[in-house]
Amino acid sequence: MAKVTVKVCLGTTCFVMGGNNLQELNDIIPEKYGDKVEVMGSNCLGLCSINWEYSKAPYVKVDEEVVTEATVEKVLEVIDKKLA
Amino acid sequence: MFIDVACSQKKKYNQNAYGDYFASNRFPNMNRVVAVLSDGLGSGIKANILACMTSTMLLKFMENHFDIEKSCEIIMNSLPVCKVRGISYSTFSAIDCFDDGKAKIVEEGNPDFIWIRNGEVLKPEYQTIQSKDFKNRRMKVYNIQLEKYDRIIFCSDGATQVAMGTKKYPLGLERNGLIKIILNKLEQDSEISSKNLSEYLVKQIELIAPNRELKDDTSILSIYCRDPRESLIFTGPPFHGEKDNYYAKTFMEFKGKKAISGGTTANIISRELNIPVIAKLSTNSGKLPGLSEMRGVDLVTEGILTLTKTLEYLENGKPEENAAKILMDFLLDSDVINFLVGAQMNKAHYDPNLPIEIELRKNIIKQMAKVLEEKYLKKVNVQFV
Repeated sequence: MAKVTVKVCLGTTCFVMGGNNLQELNDIIPEKYGDKVEVMGSNCLGLCSINWEYSKAPYVKVDEEVVTEATVEKVLEVIDKKLA
Repeated sequence: MFIDVACSQKKKYNQNAYGDYFASNRFPNMNRVVAVLSDGLGSGIKANILACMTSTMLLKFMENHFDIEKSCEIIMNSLPVCKVRGISYSTFSAIDCFDDGKAKIVEEGNPDFIWIRNGEVLKPEYQTIQSKDFKNRRMKVYNIQLEKYDRIIFCSDGATQVAMGTKKYPLGLERNGLIKIILNKLEQDSEISSKNLSEYLVKQIELIAPNRELKDDTSILSIYCRDPRESLIFTGPPFHGEKDNYYAKTFMEFKGKKAISGGTTANIISRELNIPVIAKLSTNSGKLPGLSEMRGVDLVTEGILTLTKTLEYLENGKPEENAAKILMDFLLDSDVINFLVGAQMNKAHYDPNLPIEIELRKNIIKQMAKVLEEKYLKKVNVQFV
């Protein structure tokens, strides 16, 4: 099974909108999923400046799926669905 | 050519104030630097006051190209008179120097300065000026032309007279002894900074002193003509997107140290030059996003938040361990700082719903340039693109 990739946006907007706390995923994910899921940071994904998504930061990408107004719980939920 | 100036000092043993005083000022826009070292009569607080008055007054006079002869008469007439000796006295060495190497040096009472080029000590010509009011006071005035990699060392007599009266040094280390130590060090480390050389020399002098106890205040003022350390900071996406490639290349071809401050800016350079950029997740970076990595770039940080914090640290000088402190150290380690500032704005930053206010990049860089110039005497160039 292909690895799930999680990209946490660390762009300025996402960071101030709560992305700072999402960095916890760096510890939580390996503990919970081992090497089935890879987590990494990313410079601005560019999502904050697209109108239709305006002000739904912070963003996280789980594979190609965009998680808006992301929280640690929301991201883990999406990962669980992918792995199910 | 950049004129690297640094002074290192040690107090006379058992004294709680320095009797030598060093003052300097740099004028980045005039490519000019002025430095003065003064040795006050006696030691302790009294000497400190005399030396401090002399240095600061002379610095101001020289900065304003005031006639040197008149300046010295004014200073000598203003110094308080010592109760014990009935005289007022302080010696000095001063240099007014331009980036093109043109320099004027004035000495009164301090040991003759040491001018080194290619491992040889030069003997410059000078003009003697006799004081009108004070019989024993004579100034030496030198007009010299410095070349790249030249060094000038000024010292107080504490340095040349150290260990005087001992078997090994009946007359003290003397100027020739000091020259020997300097040349030896330069042979080992020809590119040593002024700061490190002056610290090294003071340490050596202390080691020569019997029981490591200095009998007089000791100062070394070192001047080194070298290539400036240049850095380039690229921050913000260029206003005209079609020029991204041009600016990315310009940035990468820069010879000095390079930093990118801005995730999107880093993405642009990464895209245009096909160099991957890796953002590191870190839970211990404090309240700022952590660093990213990019081959060929010395430092990659987030933009506005980090710059805002860096400016705050530069202004009040109380940095915490985070990306902004690393950026501050990067800036302070340079002599000439170039900012390439992209003028494109990210609308999302100005959403009133953001929990903190995000400043305009342009304003932050303008303020940062001002602080770097005025407080840290750096030469700063800002280009908006």
